[in-house]
Amino acid sequence: MSRRAIGLIGYGSSVYEKGAGRPEFAFLADAAREALISAGLAKTEIDGLATSSTTLAPDNAVTAAEYLGLTLSWAYVSTAGGAGGLASVLNAVRAVEAGHATHVLCLAGGAQDSGVFKERIARFTGALADYVTPHGSGGLNGLFGIIQRKHMERYGTRREELGRIAVDQRANAGRNDRALLRVPMTIDDYLKAPIVADPLRLYDCVMPCSGAEAVVVGPLDRVPPDKRVRILAGYERHNHPVGEIAPLHGGWELYRDALFHEAGVGPQDMDFVQAYDDYPIMVAIQLEDHGFCEKGRVGAFLAANTMTWEGSLPLNTGGGQLSCGQSGGGGGMIGLVEAVRQLRCEAADRQVAGAVHGLVSGYGMVSYGHGLSASSLIVGRAT
Amino acid sequence: MNESPTNPYPAPRETAINRPMLEAWREGVLALQRCADCGAIFFIARSLCPRCWSAALAWLRSDGRGRIVSWSQIHRGLPAAFTAEAPITLAEIEVTEGATLLARVVCDRLQSVTTGSAVELMRLPDALRYPLPTFVMTTERSR
Repeated sequence: MSRRAIGLIGYGSSVYEKGAGRPEFAFLADAAREALISAGLAKTEIDGLATSSTTLAPDNAVTAAEYLGLTLSWAYVSTAGGAGGLASVLNAVRAVEAGHATHVLCLAGGAQDSGVFKERIARFTGALADYVTPHGSGGLNGLFGIIQRKHMERYGTRREELGRIAVDQRANAGRNDRALLRVPMTIDDYLKAPIVADPLRLYDCVMPCSGAEAVVVGPLDRVPPDKRVRILAGYERHNHPVGEIAPLHGGWELYRDALFHEAGVGPQDMDFVQAYDDYPIMVAIQLEDHGFCEKGRVGAFLAANTMTWEGSLPLNTGGGQLSCGQSGGGGGMIGLVEAVRQLRCEAADRQVAGAVHGLVSGYGMVSYGHGLSASSLIVGRAT
Repeated sequence: MNESPTNPYPAPRETAINRPMLEAWREGVLALQRCADCGAIFFIARSLCPRCWSAALAWLRSDGRGRIVSWSQIHRGLPAAFTAEAPITLAEIEVTEGATLLARVVCDRLQSVTTGSAVELMRLPDALRYPLPTFVMTTERSR
């Protein structure tokens, strides 16, 4: 099957819950069922499965198939943390293209309370466990405090500017029943929140939770024309730059030109951006690295734009992880699911009017100082 | 010192590869690895040079002096072993030999940490409390 004929034909999300009262498979199953309904597929038509999770081991895609009662011809486990959801979709497209599977369910999620979260983050990678956690890093916040301070001091980026990301995403979450944090936030709330890891304060940080996201990759002609979402281009990069502890770019800049060239559109054509939002500073760096503004100019860019669903640059239109909660590996898929929802015009009262093209980006595998993995997709309504 | 035996600091796993670095630190020394083939100098202990893949690595004694490249002070979300000592200052530090590492800078509340500040390795016996090479602010007196 030609790559152009393959795309995203279904999507689903579980509810998000504080705490881990149900096993991760239960959240993945909820998202999977919703995705199948959205795609109009029977369960027996799923023959490929990808899992993207940092909490599922020793379980994996094959034992997920056991839980879900699926027989597979293709199974894939993501390796790229919060960049892994998009990477799994890129690989699923290749699997369908090569004939290894026809309909691939890509699942991403996690089941965690704050205790589980702290424990897993302390040992997230070998380098973190052995060379960062013993210093008292408090999870990842200290690492991103170092990155944000560097950006602020080098480029003059201000918290008032970065805070616009958290504030506007919270406004988006107000229109998403599944977001766990929906209380309206002002820039003053953001600026005066308790200090967590200076310069990071409370609303720079995500709240660990349980939840899952899913998409179905398959032949576009399986769904009605107005429900077809194309993948116009997609890339992933890992471990760039080599050996730097706190770089102010993440690898997206390496393929940005190829990504947009291949998609035949530019940053100015994006009707929305769903960026990996573990911290506003990383969203800001993704905007720079994807070319929405020059490196170092994101503060002024944010000040000149509004990021609500009806703003000049709709960003994380469902509220993102900052407002929905951080569901482990699910954070790497929440943006793509929201993008598909928007492109199918199914985003209800947060629908971006006339959304045709969007950028989705991932980031993850934080190790000795920063996230090692970057990924991006440009998606579009099939017209 | 207020170290509590019920809440020890998390410790790195000691292996044949990182043991020389950990043993050096127990003597108050920062040991770096230097590649005999390409000259790369790095902190996280490895079995091969990450730049040229040579296995010809030698241990190099750092002079223990460096400067803060960037830093964060962590107030909340710390494991029990650290809460009484909050805020914890975690910094990206470039040492004289050119390697960069992440390390704790132990300082009292009156010392203002700034980017570019000179730091130096903590000395024995205080150093024995800390599982990994740890720094203090360089003062006029210690200079």
